[in-house]
Amino acid sequence: MAASPLVERPAHPPSLKTAPSPLRQPQLAGAAQFSSANGTPNGARPAAPTSQAAGQAPLLDLAEQLNLEERRKYVKGKKLGEGTYAIVNLGHARADPTQLVAIKKIKKQKEYTEGLAPDAVRELKHLQELAHPNIISLLSVFSTKDQNVCLVLEYLPLGDLEMLIRDQDGIRYGTADIKAWMGMLTRAIWFCHENYVLHRDIKPNNLLIAADGEVKLADFGLARSFADPWSVMTSNVITRWYRPPELLYGAKHYGGAVDVWSVGTVMAEMIVRIPYLPGNTEIDQLQLIYDRIGTPTEENWPGVTTLPGYIPPERIMPVQPKANFLQTFGTVGDEGVDLLFKTLTLDPRKRITAREMLQHPWWRAEPHPTRKQDLPRKSASLGEEKMAADLKRQPGQTATEEDRGKGVARKLDFGSAMK
Amino acid sequence: MAQSTEDERYRQSTQFRLWSYSPSQLADLRAKTNSLAKQNISERLSSSVPPSSGASLPEFLTPAEEELLLRYYTVETLRAAEFCALPTSIRATAAIFLRRFFVTHSVMTYPPAKMLKTCVFFGCKTENYYPRVRSIAEKFPNTTGEEILAGEFLLCQGIRFAFDIRHPFGALEGAMMQLRTLVDLNEERFQRVYTRAREILKFSPIVTDAYFHYTPSQIMLAALLIADVELFDRIIDASFAEHLMAGNRANIAGNGDKTVATIKECRDMLLQEPPERMTEFWGTAEANNLVKPLNKKLRKCRDPDRFDLIGLHKKRLEFREKEAGGAKTAAEDDGAVFGEALKSDADREPKRRRVAGEDPFGPPL
Repeated sequence: MAASPLVERPAHPPSLKTAPSPLRQPQLAGAAQFSSANGTPNGARPAAPTSQAAGQAPLLDLAEQLNLEERRKYVKGKKLGEGTYAIVNLGHARADPTQLVAIKKIKKQKEYTEGLAPDAVRELKHLQELAHPNIISLLSVFSTKDQNVCLVLEYLPLGDLEMLIRDQDGIRYGTADIKAWMGMLTRAIWFCHENYVLHRDIKPNNLLIAADGEVKLADFGLARSFADPWSVMTSNVITRWYRPPELLYGAKHYGGAVDVWSVGTVMAEMIVRIPYLPGNTEIDQLQLIYDRIGTPTEENWPGVTTLPGYIPPERIMPVQPKANFLQTFGTVGDEGVDLLFKTLTLDPRKRITAREMLQHPWWRAEPHPTRKQDLPRKSASLGEEKMAADLKRQPGQTATEEDRGKGVARKLDFGSAMK
Repeated sequence: MAQSTEDERYRQSTQFRLWSYSPSQLADLRAKTNSLAKQNISERLSSSVPPSSGASLPEFLTPAEEELLLRYYTVETLRAAEFCALPTSIRATAAIFLRRFFVTHSVMTYPPAKMLKTCVFFGCKTENYYPRVRSIAEKFPNTTGEEILAGEFLLCQGIRFAFDIRHPFGALEGAMMQLRTLVDLNEERFQRVYTRAREILKFSPIVTDAYFHYTPSQIMLAALLIADVELFDRIIDASFAEHLMAGNRANIAGNGDKTVATIKECRDMLLQEPPERMTEFWGTAEANNLVKPLNKKLRKCRDPDRFDLIGLHKKRLEFREKEAGGAKTAAEDDGAVFGEALKSDADREPKRRRVAGEDPFGPPL
């Protein structure tokens, strides 16, 4: 049970990272010289706003003071990139100019006329709560004068895993490196699940790399809390190539296993250095799964035929034995292939969990994972561009789809959750 | 060990970091919010055009009166969300959003009767329901989607972008499961205790300040204590016995006492507003005598500009237009940068953004 007898009522102001004490400063120095940050129209008066007598300028609400205080902690620098979803700028802490940050300003979405976009709500809700070395840190949130939301994120200048995987000529890496990266990814997803959060968009370009080589899971625009048993979730999540069969079959009740499948497809991609299951359509995606892993049947996955989007296959491919995986992925060794095999189990109930993954013998087998400072890396300038490209992107797109300008890979049907 | 880890994890939550206060801190914040609002509204009234004829200022609400009104509007939020047939978690989230918003804003500045609908709509979004704003607006008389959306950004800023609220409902399910393993009672008793405790959780901690002062598990245990003392004792004994067995003999007695004392404080707070009170907040003579005069007083002392959310929104648009058409130096002006928090369709035009919104952070300070 979750009794927490050691927690007392806070006797002091919560003095953690983003909790300034409004009580210590009766009024923010100089705050009165600004008009309201909420934009109460001074223009309602006949005089021009700036001609207002200094003594009459409205005081800031406490909420406005707190927001201004957050905003003042950071100084914005050059623009790193702009997409349809967000603008990303470099920045630094005012108090410590060596502490670099990425400032992501969420743009208003033309097509979404219902206020703050769901992606932004999801990302804010979950990143505010999750603090872990392998999850991108949200350092602060504040609103700007033009009523946009800005997220201050930790600066991750070395790009993402996708660009390392793709650069076959420039970047060489081996099993020890894969093991280190996989360890960091598995810890990130374990922490999400431990906090009852599903990420639902794991893929190489959502795995950003910090200056010290640490891999950080980013982009929580599709994340959600674990659902109560009776409530339904949308199956229209996770970029297609990394989407598990139960979601392709339209499952409405699912758990952490959906993320584990994605982790498995990412591991396979790290080893062979091309996307493992690059389906062009959902049907094509299922066909690739049948061919390379096996066809789901009532025997290997009881109940699969009752899923809402189940399609009877034209012919049944037997489930591939581990030996066949060894031929393709053998470079990571027997234990490595065993772990991969268990993440790519068709029946989500039999799929390995994130916690079980961390207990797998592969981590302790030879070779030991590379220390993070010794991991292969790209130069910082390239990485910076890539980080900006990753942060400004809308969730759920594959990079190639975006590059080709094909638009959103799939659209979330937010209305259906209500039904 | 497991227990302290859980405590550490809770201390990372925004509910603890940003929204937990001691009673005196909370009282100070509310007093400060109240006095800032009084100052602001006084200045606005005395500089309004034409200047208020009598030049005499209205009588303002006291912090205690604001709290009373807020309690009333919290119940209204619960009722509104129930009327929209929303699940318990969304009802609770919406009401807590409203209470948090009005810690740092005065009910004299922004209209609680309107903000509560924004809270219901935004509470849906944060709990993974995405109804059309119109479908919510249609449930209420004289309400438009535009009005609900006009308050959304204000709400997000006011709750400090902390959208995850930790409710005690799940904890109660867990406690009932644990009790079933500890005591052998008839099913009827379990059902009775569960139903009563859940009834309490759906109302009492939400309309009081319990969420600001206690953890979800403390609140759940306080509700259990009200519902059935014996079962409460069993669960406390069992929890601390586990620690004894784990060898943490030191401090156990002390921590147990402290825990029980805290839960009893919480229980006393919950008892101020038992669930039966929900129906007493409107219609009764007592409620009318209390709330009506306060609402009447509020009508006289509210913020002349900000109380009208849609009007505020429209004036912001006009102001923005003027700004954009006028001085191009506006963006370099400190006052203008922090002054015009403008939301408009015009924001979406890149051309306009270049003129008025080049640098969202303003120039170097």
